[in-house]
Amino acid sequence: MSAGLDSFVAAAPWPQRAGLRVLLALARRPRSRALLACVPLAEQAAHSTLALGRYDDPAVARRLGWDAAAVVARGRALRRAEGRP
Amino acid sequence: MKADFCVVGSGAGGAVVAAELAESGASVVVLEQGPGHDADGFTARPPEMLARLYRDGGQTATLGSPPVLLPLGRGLGGTTLVNSGTCFRTPPYVLERWAREFGLEVDEPALAPFFERVERALSVSEVTPELAGANAAIARRGAERLGWSHGYLRRNARGCVGSGVCVFGCPTSAKQHTGITYIPRARAAGARILTGTDVRQVLVAGGRAHGVRARRADGSALEVRAPEVIVACGAIHTPLLLDASRLADGSGQRGRNLSLHPATAAFALMDEVVDMSRGVPQSFYVDEFAADGIMLEGVAGPPAYAAMSLPLTGARHARAMADYRHLAQFGLMVSDRSRGRVRSVAGRPLIRYDLVREDLERFRAGLARLEQLFAAAGAREVYLPLGTGVRPQQASARELRLAAFHPLGTARADARPSHGVTDGDLAMHGVAGVHVADGSVVPSALGVNPQLTIMALATRLAFGLLGRPAPDIPRRSCSQARGADEEAACLS
Repeated sequence: MSAGLDSFVAAAPWPQRAGLRVLLALARRPRSRALLACVPLAEQAAHSTLALGRYDDPAVARRLGWDAAAVVARGRALRRAEGRP
Repeated sequence: MKADFCVVGSGAGGAVVAAELAESGASVVVLEQGPGHDADGFTARPPEMLARLYRDGGQTATLGSPPVLLPLGRGLGGTTLVNSGTCFRTPPYVLERWAREFGLEVDEPALAPFFERVERALSVSEVTPELAGANAAIARRGAERLGWSHGYLRRNARGCVGSGVCVFGCPTSAKQHTGITYIPRARAAGARILTGTDVRQVLVAGGRAHGVRARRADGSALEVRAPEVIVACGAIHTPLLLDASRLADGSGQRGRNLSLHPATAAFALMDEVVDMSRGVPQSFYVDEFAADGIMLEGVAGPPAYAAMSLPLTGARHARAMADYRHLAQFGLMVSDRSRGRVRSVAGRPLIRYDLVREDLERFRAGLARLEQLFAAAGAREVYLPLGTGVRPQQASARELRLAAFHPLGTARADARPSHGVTDGDLAMHGVAGVHVADGSVVPSALGVNPQLTIMALATRLAFGLLGRPAPDIPRRSCSQARGADEEAACLS
């Protein structure tokens, strides 16, 4: 799990956090993934969370036209140039 | 520590009250539970920013049918730090309802000077089509072909370049959230701003407030003595603090009447390149169905956000994400009749909220409208937030994937002590010296984004506390008056 996704899961309130960790573990194993598919809400929650992490990867995001580092650098340059907070 | 006014919370309500009071020479202390956030620390990466800028990592959720995700900001600026920046004045028909049903003395001319004051402070202006980006252009094309009423949204932004991550921390500091507007003003006027300070109790003796008791991040205790306490923790946490303080509640309404503006969104696969994260994510609206309680508003974000929100799984999800650059998204928000309740369980909020039949019908109708909007815009495929093969008209409450961003009403204002937690001046019924300045006083769903309403009411509260008349509307603004009522207010 990436550091970003790990901090996201860790920030959840405890009952959800525990549930999410179980769901993520199930979603990563092929056999238990099939089991998860029987509970659409749970499958969607696990899938959404894993997708959040996967597409946050800078290399993956850049292939889709999104460069977070460039957005941040532009913001920083603008703030410095214009004296923004 | 002593002050004339102690303000608990630094979001849309607290920051505004604090700045107005401090700039009038009052001694003010602001206590904020979360940290201050520096824009240098914003990474434009959703998981990290959700964990850092949101309470519970943005994963606060209601219990009920269906569960609703309720992301709330945490830190200086409160939820204004992480909202989309959309600014609507309170619709006139809502004000009429407040006067009729809750006995509140509010109408358009009376509130206009306060709205004007806030809008000037936050540089509120309409998004340009260029800045709105392709995602908005698609919705506009659909709305125009269908002949639906629409427009570009007004936002509190200055020098925006369309970074596309308003809800993950604006990297250019263009969004004028209260953490970079009202809070610095309050500080410059002498207010003491303490972050990492969790207020546990409003202190009351003989039916009158005399301060608050709090705990600092380092575990030390803090007591602020102040004859006036303004509670502005938001609609989820304000009733909890009032409960924890064991303040009188003659109405029995504290924590009840929670409205949320539940929302959902659809995606569409377009032939054209959309690059939804380029431009202002929430920049366009369709209000054709506002009278039915259905508002369509733009929503968008970077790939990680889209991947999390896309209502698909497995290979279909992967295929759609491979076409991310061609994905468009638009949201649907319901002015809800459903009402929930907030209670404290082991010090945490337990939020119960069930969607009533009438609101389910609104979602069914709204999803059908979203599908229609995208079809008219030329979508190749539309992804509704429903199970495979489920049509909007067949959707059950349990099948809806809802989020909500506007909790309101849990300390509602009502002139009658038997019906409201606060009165028309936002003073608590039954306890002297306690006022509330956040979404919890808003007595009904607004049908539009509430930050401007909360800020205008907070400004009005500050003027009331200072015994000052409403501010003048500057001459410059009179020439831009919106409607006959406002023009009359300007001229008078």
